[in-house]
Amino acid sequence: MRIEITPLHPVFAGECSGIDTTRPLPHATVAAIEAAMDRHAVLVFRDQHLTDDQQLAFSQAFGELEFTHGTGISKPGEQRLHPAFADVSNLDKDNNILARDNRRRLYSLGNMLWHSDSSFKPVPAKYSILSGRVVATTGGETEFADMRAAYDALDDATKAEIEPLVCEHSLIYSREVMGFDDLTEAERATMHPVRQALVRTHPGSGRKSLYLASHIGTIIGWPIPEARAFIRDLTEHATQRRFVYAHHWRPFDLLMWDNRATMHRVRRYDGSQVRDMRRTTVAGTVPTAVQAAE
Amino acid sequence: MTIAIHPIHPGFVAEVSGIDLAHPLSRDAVAAIETGMDRYAVLVFHDQPLTDDQQMAFSRNFGELEATLAGEMTRPEERRMVNELGDISNIDHRNRIRARDDARRLYALGNRLWHTDASFRATGAIYSLLSARVIPSAGGNTEFADMRAAYDALADATKREIEDLICEHSIAFSRAELGFTDFAEAHRAKIAPVRHRLVSTHPVTGRKSLYLASHIGGIVGWPVPEARAFIRDLMEHATQPQFVHAHVWRVNDLVMWDNRTTMHRARRYDDMNQVRDMRRTTIRGTCTDAEQAVAA
Repeated sequence: MRIEITPLHPVFAGECSGIDTTRPLPHATVAAIEAAMDRHAVLVFRDQHLTDDQQLAFSQAFGELEFTHGTGISKPGEQRLHPAFADVSNLDKDNNILARDNRRRLYSLGNMLWHSDSSFKPVPAKYSILSGRVVATTGGETEFADMRAAYDALDDATKAEIEPLVCEHSLIYSREVMGFDDLTEAERATMHPVRQALVRTHPGSGRKSLYLASHIGTIIGWPIPEARAFIRDLTEHATQRRFVYAHHWRPFDLLMWDNRATMHRVRRYDGSQVRDMRRTTVAGTVPTAVQAAE
Repeated sequence: MTIAIHPIHPGFVAEVSGIDLAHPLSRDAVAAIETGMDRYAVLVFHDQPLTDDQQMAFSRNFGELEATLAGEMTRPEERRMVNELGDISNIDHRNRIRARDDARRLYALGNRLWHTDASFRATGAIYSLLSARVIPSAGGNTEFADMRAAYDALADATKREIEDLICEHSIAFSRAELGFTDFAEAHRAKIAPVRHRLVSTHPVTGRKSLYLASHIGGIVGWPVPEARAFIRDLMEHATQPQFVHAHVWRVNDLVMWDNRTTMHRARRYDDMNQVRDMRRTTIRGTCTDAEQAVAA
């Protein structure tokens, strides 16, 4: 099965045409999309008028889905969407726009920091799939950075230095940076730091990449301020414009990205406008590092 | 000798030649430097071997000296130099390289975040003057960003949005960002947040600039996470490559910058094995630009 990919950026990201993601896909098509993901790391499918069920079905073609329950601050009963969805909107369960000082809104502003989805889980995510149901008319772009190209561009001394390093990731760290610290004990308990290799190798492409995220709080064995300063330098390197693709949303764009090879972030938008995006997340299958003994 | 000023970047930064900073300067020479600072915001003087006293004497041409907070936080018997000099080095008072987990070292790593000196004081600072006595063989550059050019390049809607915003600055915010929270209780008062306007106007040139620093922890009247996200966006805008100059140090360089119109940061170097000894004098700011919060 051949699928048509138009490159969107010199080093990664492509627009995929000729596929209707609302319908069940043959194995060959799924395999072709996976091969394209190995190569491009971010794929854009235009004009995909999906229902939530159709998005679930499409996503499940690539593996088991992550459930959002038990991560972050979302609580059962307050959720607008099926528990396999991350609600990346500014709406409450009754579809009202969240107030400026709404706790969930302030928490979700952490998505404006560069990150890789679920890097705070012992087995982090494979793909994320984001459907733009109602998009912001100005701002609200999603930006992606190619962590393979960023790795390749490091000098040899830095590559050697970072090869054995292991980082600690937690939602607590990215929220702390934003000054969001009113987490309950129960929430903190779900955000126990996990370990991830700083350099990971992609199982499909064999390419190495920087495994960075604003969820990183330290490097094992390093003094914390030294670790944070170094991670900031690496993040700045990795998010230079030459490694970044900015996606300007159209309604019913479906985006799919490989969290093992990219970081992403959302840009600011006018919070008085509805932005309704729904994310499904395909679980990873292997850890990147040995966890600390309890 | 006549003073000559050569710009080395399209927007700011110039090299000054034809002047010896070790000796008292004429009024005209001081005026020429001030005019150069107003225009270029960062001036580089090469081959200026200075004693501490000479650096302080030269600096006093531009105003009163401000003690550095790091100096104030160090016990007097452990200071390498008088309190009007900021010790920007990786060595202790016995000239030993500081250990990896030395609290002074970890505190100083905050200088790797973009900042403007003393923005955590109500009056800020005018100039900083940094003299390079010993430099590492690689790394350790100081980068400068032109906050006037960064302001000019903002969209009109953003300029309108930020015109009257007031930010809260504290050394505790930039250190918390790096996970450093080890402030002695005695210094709590010194790290209480102060307020500054986000858009400042230079008193001589009248040019507007962004008054940003990693010391910012909030915008008055905004939810904290929203303020932090917005300040990060502005910082990213303001430190794009076209607004930035990297100074590669030579021994006996003296670099002088205007904290009202620039940000700066230090870059990484092998500080476990190589000495970097820089000494900073800072010209105290003279007026506040925002009404301070009433102490609770």
